[in-house]
Amino acid sequence: MALTGRFALLVALGVVPVVVAGISSAPLAWLALVGWLLVVTGAGIVDLSLAASPRTVAFGRELPDRVRLGEPVASQLTVQNLGGRMLRATVRDGWEPSAGVAGTNRTRLAIPPGERRRMTLQLVPTRRGDRRTQQVTIRSAGPLGLWARQATLAAPGRVRVLPPFHSRVHLPSRLTRLRELDGRTPLLIRGQGTEFDSIREYVRGDDVRSIDWRATARHIDPEVPGNTRLMVRTWRPERDRRIVIVADTSRTAAARIADEPRLDTSYEAALLLAALASHAGDRVDFLATDRRLRGRVHGASGADLLARMVDAMAGIDAELVEADWALVPGQVRAVTSRHAFVVLLTAADSPGSARGLLSVLPQLTARHTVVVASVADPALLEASRLRGDLDEVYGAAAAERGLLDGERVGAAIRRLGAQTVTAAPHELPPALADRYLELKAAGRL
Amino acid sequence: MTAAPPAAAVASAPADVTPAAAITPTFRAGVRRRRIWIWFAIVLVLGAIALLVLRGGAAGAGQRLGADNPAPFGAKALVEVLGSHGVEVETADDFDTALTAAKSGATVLVFDEFGLLDEQRLSRLAMFADRVVVVEPGFAALEALAPGIRLAGAASGALDEVACELPAAENAGALSTDQRLFTIDDEAASGGWQGCFRDGEYGYAVAEGPSSGDGRIALVGASTPFENGRITERGNAALAIGLAGASDELVWYLPGPLDADPDQAPTLGELTPGWVSPVLALAVVVTIVAGVWRGRRFGPLVVENLPVHVPAGETAVGRARLYARSAARRHALDQLRLGTLARIASALRLPRTADVAEIAAAAAAATRRDPGQVRAVLIDAVPTGDQEFVRLAAGLDDLEHAVRATLAPETSTPQPADHPGRRP
Repeated sequence: MALTGRFALLVALGVVPVVVAGISSAPLAWLALVGWLLVVTGAGIVDLSLAASPRTVAFGRELPDRVRLGEPVASQLTVQNLGGRMLRATVRDGWEPSAGVAGTNRTRLAIPPGERRRMTLQLVPTRRGDRRTQQVTIRSAGPLGLWARQATLAAPGRVRVLPPFHSRVHLPSRLTRLRELDGRTPLLIRGQGTEFDSIREYVRGDDVRSIDWRATARHIDPEVPGNTRLMVRTWRPERDRRIVIVADTSRTAAARIADEPRLDTSYEAALLLAALASHAGDRVDFLATDRRLRGRVHGASGADLLARMVDAMAGIDAELVEADWALVPGQVRAVTSRHAFVVLLTAADSPGSARGLLSVLPQLTARHTVVVASVADPALLEASRLRGDLDEVYGAAAAERGLLDGERVGAAIRRLGAQTVTAAPHELPPALADRYLELKAAGRL
Repeated sequence: MTAAPPAAAVASAPADVTPAAAITPTFRAGVRRRRIWIWFAIVLVLGAIALLVLRGGAAGAGQRLGADNPAPFGAKALVEVLGSHGVEVETADDFDTALTAAKSGATVLVFDEFGLLDEQRLSRLAMFADRVVVVEPGFAALEALAPGIRLAGAASGALDEVACELPAAENAGALSTDQRLFTIDDEAASGGWQGCFRDGEYGYAVAEGPSSGDGRIALVGASTPFENGRITERGNAALAIGLAGASDELVWYLPGPLDADPDQAPTLGELTPGWVSPVLALAVVVTIVAGVWRGRRFGPLVVENLPVHVPAGETAVGRARLYARSAARRHALDQLRLGTLARIASALRLPRTADVAEIAAAAAAATRRDPGQVRAVLIDAVPTGDQEFVRLAAGLDDLEHAVRATLAPETSTPQPADHPGRRP
């Protein structure tokens, strides 16, 4: 049961009869007060008994399955009145706070018996993952709108909020660079990391050193009998490389750097790299792991790859456990037995937490090209420059210590044969993509 | 409830639809589920009611010196004792009853806590009564009954100097602490007033003298000798019984609401119109109703699991506090020096194998500073105090900037407004 503002107002209106009666005598005023309270309570009881039941209601939901973080989504709920009375309802849909319901989440519906009404809520989810609603609460007021019946009914719904992939703004420029590497901007210089693409006719401007004389000898010019046409060989970057992206979801991934958890930055970097690599014709696999395999995308290509990756990422949050790096070589081996480009997205900033990683790196670097990508804290760099007062200088010393630790770990990783990419959160995805392009151009994938 | 998102009618509802499962229990189910608590509450309420009935109603603390009040500040003990010794005790709470009884020769004990009796009535009472005992008389009562007697504050302690020939006082011999005193001026003393239980030169706890009629008046400064809680101390009981039980009949007169003087200024209650109190009551009801209206929760709370988020800067902040707490100036400065040396070495393109002395020498050469000073800042100087530490840290920063400035002088000097690259 619930009271409405109208009822409170009605009770307050009792001041009129009480004052009118009180002008003549005080006992009459008391009588008027008691009488008024009895009358309004009676009206409330009558109103409540005439209200439609909030339980004889059926729901239907229309929700998009997926939405990117930060984009609005319309949640539609159909309420059907199965009872025999007019349902004057105020409806609250029980979305999680992170689902970001716009407005007050109180919808007024008037539904005649047997009919249906659709209500629409605008959601702007504020967090990645599955955003759910379990229940719908209906407050059914009587015809006078004084008292109301209230019930909460089960009406489950779910919308999957995908990682935002803000770093896609960097994709066009990297694709241009990729095209320069690729056959569409043909390379005439043979080098490492290229494979034979085609033989075509020489045009002015081509490097004469790339003329293939044997092919030239075979191509008789049909217009000038006895002559041959000059042919050149073209090369293109290697294709069909294996790329394995491993995202660390352990406790270090929960740390917030520049108001973004490390894990989200890892996701951004992984998505940009995957988009770029799938355009370049490489095969991308994605693993999320801490003490167990949290998510895996294997054997997808093209547009399907990104869709499956964001889907896998959506539900994975960092857990407060220590990563078990000894599992990673086995997981990579399960993906491919060939040489691959392995990207480890983790935190390599303190010798203590990087010990596990360092102990397994030799196993990976023996077979694969390994890049360890980690986020550097721009706040540390900033703090290490402060010299204002004593506290700031101590803070600078501590920040410097942190930076030195990061450098030591980076040096250890490089000594073990892997490469490092370290950048601030917003610069890590493009930095990793650039490193990929460099390695691709150098043929070291 | 203000902004209502759009709602639209949907046509063609299917015929067979099952209602959604309810999470809220029905009223009956709710009662069944909370049965134990409901029974518990009922037992508690019944127990409380029974206790109230047994304790004799919900009368609050009771009246001071009430004849039937068993509380520590009541006077039931004295009244019971007097009754068992054959004194007929009649309680009165209005002036007329008391006056009628006084005229019939009874002793009148007056305790006018709130000063309800005016001078005229007190005088009449004193005139007609044979014996009047006034407990805790106020200023007005003293003016009316005994003009030469004044209030003189609290007694310093227990009193054992009887100082008079009043039989009740002589029987008592001593009084407990917490008495109040009177002074008796010469005029009153010559009029027959005497004081008992002297407290040094401060005054007397009891005064006794003739009334304007032919009776006697006894004034007792404090109500302490009559109270249940204090009557057994020292001679309190003897004094109280001696004064109140002097005759066979006693009127225990505590002036009540009927004694309020109708000629006095109207009270606040009489000034306000009759509807004010009901409207105030209505305001209370409206407040409760509005509270229920706004306070009723719209369905159960929604539970959400939130991910862990750890601010990454915590480690550095904690380490800085550790340095500060242990005053590890040298260690902290070493960290800064290590970072600066590495950056200077890479800025000056020194080989990785260069040792600190070589880096310091190279930095001094690049900045054209005194090598000894540069070496002191980078390597040798030991911070002896906080100021020295801050100064050395600032010096490191300064040196690093100077090295960078020598390598890229064009960035440190301000660019001229006319860009040299642009030619007409």
